[in-house]
Amino acid sequence: MNPAVEVTSLGYCYPDGTEALCGVSFSLMPGACVGLLGPNGSGKSTLLRHLNGLLPEKPPADGNVRIHGEAITAENLPSIRRRVGLLFQNPDDQLFCPTVEEDVAFGPRQLGLSEAAVAARVQTVLVQVGLAGQDRRATHHLSQGEKRRACLAGVLACEASILALDEPTSDLDPRGRREFKALLRQIDATKVIATHDLELVVELCARSIVLDHGRVVADGATLELLGNEELMLAHGLERPHILQHVHPHHPHEAH
Amino acid sequence: MFAGGPLQRLPAALKLSAALVIIVGTVLLPVDWIGCLAGEGLALMLAAVVSRIPFLILIRRLAMLLPFVFGVALAGMLNPGGGLDWRIIAAKSTLCLLTVILLSHTTPLGEVIRVLQRLRVPGLLVTTMALMHRYLFVLADEAGHMRRARASRTFTRGRRFAWSALATVLSRLFIRASERAERIYDAMCARGWK
Amino acid sequence: MNPLVAAAAGCCILADQEPRKPFMHIPDGFIDAKTALVTTTLAAAGVGVALRQVRRELPPRRVPLLGLAAAFLFVAQMVNFPVAGGTSGHLIGGALVAVLLGPSAAVVVLTAVLIVQCLLFADGGLLALGANIFNMGLVATVSGYAVFHVVRRWLPGLRGQVAAMAFAGWCSTVLAAIGCAGQLAWSGTVAWPVAFTAMTGIHLLIGVGEGAISALVLLAIARTRPDLVGVAGPMQTPLKIRAFVGYGLAVILGLGWFVAPFACSWPDGLESVAIRLGFARHAATPLLNALAPDYRIPGITSPVIATAVAAAVGVVVVFGLAVLLSRALVREPRETAGAPASPS
Repeated sequence: MNPAVEVTSLGYCYPDGTEALCGVSFSLMPGACVGLLGPNGSGKSTLLRHLNGLLPEKPPADGNVRIHGEAITAENLPSIRRRVGLLFQNPDDQLFCPTVEEDVAFGPRQLGLSEAAVAARVQTVLVQVGLAGQDRRATHHLSQGEKRRACLAGVLACEASILALDEPTSDLDPRGRREFKALLRQIDATKVIATHDLELVVELCARSIVLDHGRVVADGATLELLGNEELMLAHGLERPHILQHVHPHHPHEAH
Repeated sequence: MFAGGPLQRLPAALKLSAALVIIVGTVLLPVDWIGCLAGEGLALMLAAVVSRIPFLILIRRLAMLLPFVFGVALAGMLNPGGGLDWRIIAAKSTLCLLTVILLSHTTPLGEVIRVLQRLRVPGLLVTTMALMHRYLFVLADEAGHMRRARASRTFTRGRRFAWSALATVLSRLFIRASERAERIYDAMCARGWK
Repeated sequence: MNPLVAAAAGCCILADQEPRKPFMHIPDGFIDAKTALVTTTLAAAGVGVALRQVRRELPPRRVPLLGLAAAFLFVAQMVNFPVAGGTSGHLIGGALVAVLLGPSAAVVVLTAVLIVQCLLFADGGLLALGANIFNMGLVATVSGYAVFHVVRRWLPGLRGQVAAMAFAGWCSTVLAAIGCAGQLAWSGTVAWPVAFTAMTGIHLLIGVGEGAISALVLLAIARTRPDLVGVAGPMQTPLKIRAFVGYGLAVILGLGWFVAPFACSWPDGLESVAIRLGFARHAATPLLNALAPDYRIPGITSPVIATAVAAAVGVVVVFGLAVLLSRALVREPRETAGAPASPS
């Protein structure tokens, strides 16, 4: 089976010359859920942006990133962006339409679907993320959790099979986090989750990649990595408490 | 928008054209037909009541007319015969304002923008208006936060500090707005915008 | 006290009651149908030119910036700054946005703001939208941009930018007010001398505030993110003459249309001003004859010269104030726009 995402020796420098990524390599099988960990400034967001072609600014002729076996080029960018859904760190940046319905419909409309097809997709997807009946609501009236779900809906409406999530639970209250985690668990797609929420990683991601200063410093089973206190502390992280005892509400399943 | 009321349910294009017709008609109304203005006023007030527009909002918006009416009245007094009767102007202006208030309260801006799109208003202008509408409140909130943060660090009063605080808030607001615009561009591209 | 000044002060105080309204959005009913038609046509033409220009020049990456700048301007217009004696004024922001984004983008931004203000907040009439877009969307932006660049050629460095912005802000406000007065007069709502004096009078003062705020904001932006100044339009490159002529014509045509018919009636309204200034009737006529011996303007007498001189003096004074402001705000003359100081 072909890997869904294959990154080979990816490097990237910002316009001012600072190196953001260097020699990053990994591959993901379809359906995998991988946590992307690392301190602030380690290049997690930059890496995610390479997965749907937002970076580099001009796609190279022979790319280091392959989605479903295809290298990202200028010609297949639209198709790549349909397949790889990126959820931005700040949901307000992603929800740029005034109402939920318009925002979720944005992707399908850009794809050229008929109005009927667009409407059908919007309804399906809103039910999937738990926002059924909220399509007429103004986006700036939504709560943080609802905004995140609307962003997810917008990406699912394009029928993305690979989800790249940038800090999806950073501004959610505990209930919001629980609900979003449950939602992610239900969605059938390849997921890459860049996050500081170590509990999320333990619960959802069987595998984790640790990034520091733009380089991959560890790549393996989540429990092993997170249990390695030395490794965690060396790269600005820490061993999560969840590994020390079983959480009363969410005993984590054996991975 | 304010829920309920039959006017909310009418199509936006109809309301927009009706508003335009009413306003043009009011402005063009000859001086001898002043009685019509009263009838028009009554009809509009009825529509306002039916649409459940809060009275306070109506009064506040009508108050915005005052400076102009005042100015015209004064000008009329100072230069008799040099301008139109200020009472007629005030009456017509109030009715036109009422019409626009009715329009804005019964028609969400999103629908108006869609009507404009159908009327082949250039896409760039429509996109600008839509984005403006979306991020208006976000920026207003940010400005509020910045102002409060600035105020909590200001220990002196006085006009000079008010001006410099204002300039700081506005400049940072613009910088944040332009940074946000870049991220929005990325988000739009990520979902296939061309 | 001159009753007109009292009227102006009264209007200022009243305007303060509703803290959200800049003083130039003409409501419906104040301009008649013919004025509305003409201004709407001029506005549509100007905006059309601007849109075409923007589509050609603006990189796609900057398109959302127009919308965000419009939201920014809307918020900025809501803020009132203290003027004198308890009154407050409001920013139009046309000049500032024109300098930050370029004239065409600024026209689009202001147009969007005015349309949304009208339709969402009933700020400014629907029929008067054309006039408002003409005054604030075309005249204020284009004149602000032009004045800024003309002054920049003489005054270099960051100080030059600040002085130019202050002066340009003032000019843009005053010119927009003149356009507004012209439209009111042409509609027959208010007699021209009164409209001109009152509108322009108030905005001579409000314009100082606009210039000052625009300069302060530009300075703050230039110090923190100098790359953002002139972000969507050419700042360092010479003006695009052709596009400029396009707007320039629309603006001049419009202003001329509204102001010219009243040029002859200046003497009546400004007679009192001339007498106060102490200009004797006869003293100025030899001057006029010396300048243009064969030129006859029916009805023009010395009060016009008096006003023209007063206006010139006023402009020079404001320009001087702008330069003084720039000296007060920018310490070293060698500080350039490319050297960001520590952000405040």
